[in-house]
Amino acid sequence: MGEGQRELIPQSVTVTKIIDETPDVKTFYLALRDQGGRCSAPFHTLPGQLAMLSLPGVGEAMFSATDGGDHLQLSIKKVGRLTDELHEMAEGQQVGLRGPYGNGFPMTEMQGKNVLFIGGGIGLAPVRSVVRYCVDHRADYGKLHLVYGARTPADLIFLDDLTKHWPAVEDFTVSMTVDNGDDEWQGHVGFVPAYVEELRPEVANTVCVLCGPPIMIKFTLNVLRKLGFQPENIYTTLEMRMKCGIGKCGRCNIGHSYVCLDGPVYRLDQLHELPNEY
Amino acid sequence: MKALAKKNLADALALLAGQATVWVPAKVAGVTRFAPWSPAVTLDLEATPPAVSPKEILLPETESLYRYSAYGMDVTFEAVEQEVPPTIIWGIHSCDVQAILCQDDVFLSREPQDAAYAKRRAATTLVALACTTPGPDCFCTSMGLEPAEHASTDVQLHILTDGYGVEARTARGEEIVARLAEKGLLVETIEPPAKAQACTRAVNPEGIDKKLVEMFEHPYWDELAATCLNCGACTFLCPTCHCFDLTDHRRNAHEGTKIRCWDACMFTEYTVMAGGHNPRPGKKERVRQRFMHKLRYFPERYGKWQCTGCGRCVARCPVHIEITDVIKEVGEVTLDG
Repeated sequence: MGEGQRELIPQSVTVTKIIDETPDVKTFYLALRDQGGRCSAPFHTLPGQLAMLSLPGVGEAMFSATDGGDHLQLSIKKVGRLTDELHEMAEGQQVGLRGPYGNGFPMTEMQGKNVLFIGGGIGLAPVRSVVRYCVDHRADYGKLHLVYGARTPADLIFLDDLTKHWPAVEDFTVSMTVDNGDDEWQGHVGFVPAYVEELRPEVANTVCVLCGPPIMIKFTLNVLRKLGFQPENIYTTLEMRMKCGIGKCGRCNIGHSYVCLDGPVYRLDQLHELPNEY
Repeated sequence: MKALAKKNLADALALLAGQATVWVPAKVAGVTRFAPWSPAVTLDLEATPPAVSPKEILLPETESLYRYSAYGMDVTFEAVEQEVPPTIIWGIHSCDVQAILCQDDVFLSREPQDAAYAKRRAATTLVALACTTPGPDCFCTSMGLEPAEHASTDVQLHILTDGYGVEARTARGEEIVARLAEKGLLVETIEPPAKAQACTRAVNPEGIDKKLVEMFEHPYWDELAATCLNCGACTFLCPTCHCFDLTDHRRNAHEGTKIRCWDACMFTEYTVMAGGHNPRPGKKERVRQRFMHKLRYFPERYGKWQCTGCGRCVARCPVHIEITDVIKEVGEVTLDG
């Protein structure tokens, strides 16, 4: 699990940078800053792992984290009281952070395979942590293909990655779609599941990493099944309300499994063993 | 076997209370619950079981975890150091000893451990008291327990005509027995300890953990949950329910304390997510979660029932949803195919 502070008490970290991704999504860089201004990561995370962000007097919420080396990145959509406050914050603000929590993606098991990434909306945040890992360890993985969809062109997050960084990586195909285009949008228009079916991605020796809203996941799984993907080769992440992060406060269970500790990454065949209650 | 005469009980408790907080079943405002012993306390060793379990000793109903402050750009977090005195739980029955083993599974058996619980647990010695006359709602024997003794206590007290047989089961227990013996509070006896009467309630939970795997979508839950008020009394009285909330106790706009307090799967807000989605939106889902947790999920995760047959939820449910009925009815349900 590595270093970190997984007990219930947060440490103070500084928001060193805020990127406006879309009108309702921002990416926050969080770091420990020493007196000389040098930054270091509060802790390191594996792709798919979580961090609990704390705003004193407001509350805490769990987010997917991406390890940035000397900082952590949390891409956060405005959906409630805590995230509204976060979106009002300025660079230099301190917040509380604890983690890492959860299992993360099995990057070692995935070695030698092609990876099909499928993301919808803010679901690209956990997917991106896996993409970055694969890009950083490019030789360990086969062909990479990302299919990403958002509601409108304005809702596409990580545009620099999508349009500049990732297409430049060897054997990495990026396919984007939006539910509704606009006058300037030249790309594909349509929902993610249909687009995946249309793209007919390679199935042989391929693992799929799928994250997004439940409805997108549901229909995309139908398509993946039709294309011939086996449940053992599909990974997804789940979200539940969380408080402790260490499998004890009770609320994030799906059957006997605690999403904060045993998840949030589940292989589809493992997920099928659990009650359908998420 | 060594014996502690009833007339020496107060002296024994006073002796132990000199070096530890000794929690005893006592009448407090008419209710039998655990209270720190003092000469003023009205002991009640007859209640089977005490109306309120000793759960709060290891998992306080509320506790402060840390203080926070937020001024301008700066925030600080400072742990609230808990003073944990040596603690003895005297007169705990088998059901509640077993419940502590369940709590140990949750808080200690998997990394990361819960530091506050671990600290309290490490400071606690259990002195179990044989329960020979089970109450009307007791069914611990159905859940595999032996009311007259529990293997995982530090000291086991047996019921004798005019006192208690005293049997140490751990090194820690030996210490307590040695201290009592040293002060001349123990005598040798050959009297055989009283045997436990049978529980009047009996159910057979064998196999229902497996059966419940097939019953997630069964209409039984609609029927069972129909009268539930979601009051949460069952969860608060349950010695094994461990769910908690972490919440801010604000002192002012800038400072406050993060507290941990009991929470319950019976409440809507327990699982509602930012944005409004709730995976357990109704009574059916919440009642199902409670019984599935006790009788299927916990056994799957930790290999034991999360019900010790103490009967407190049976006694106090305002609409008579009884776990003994659930065990029985689940056993009787016919599954398709």
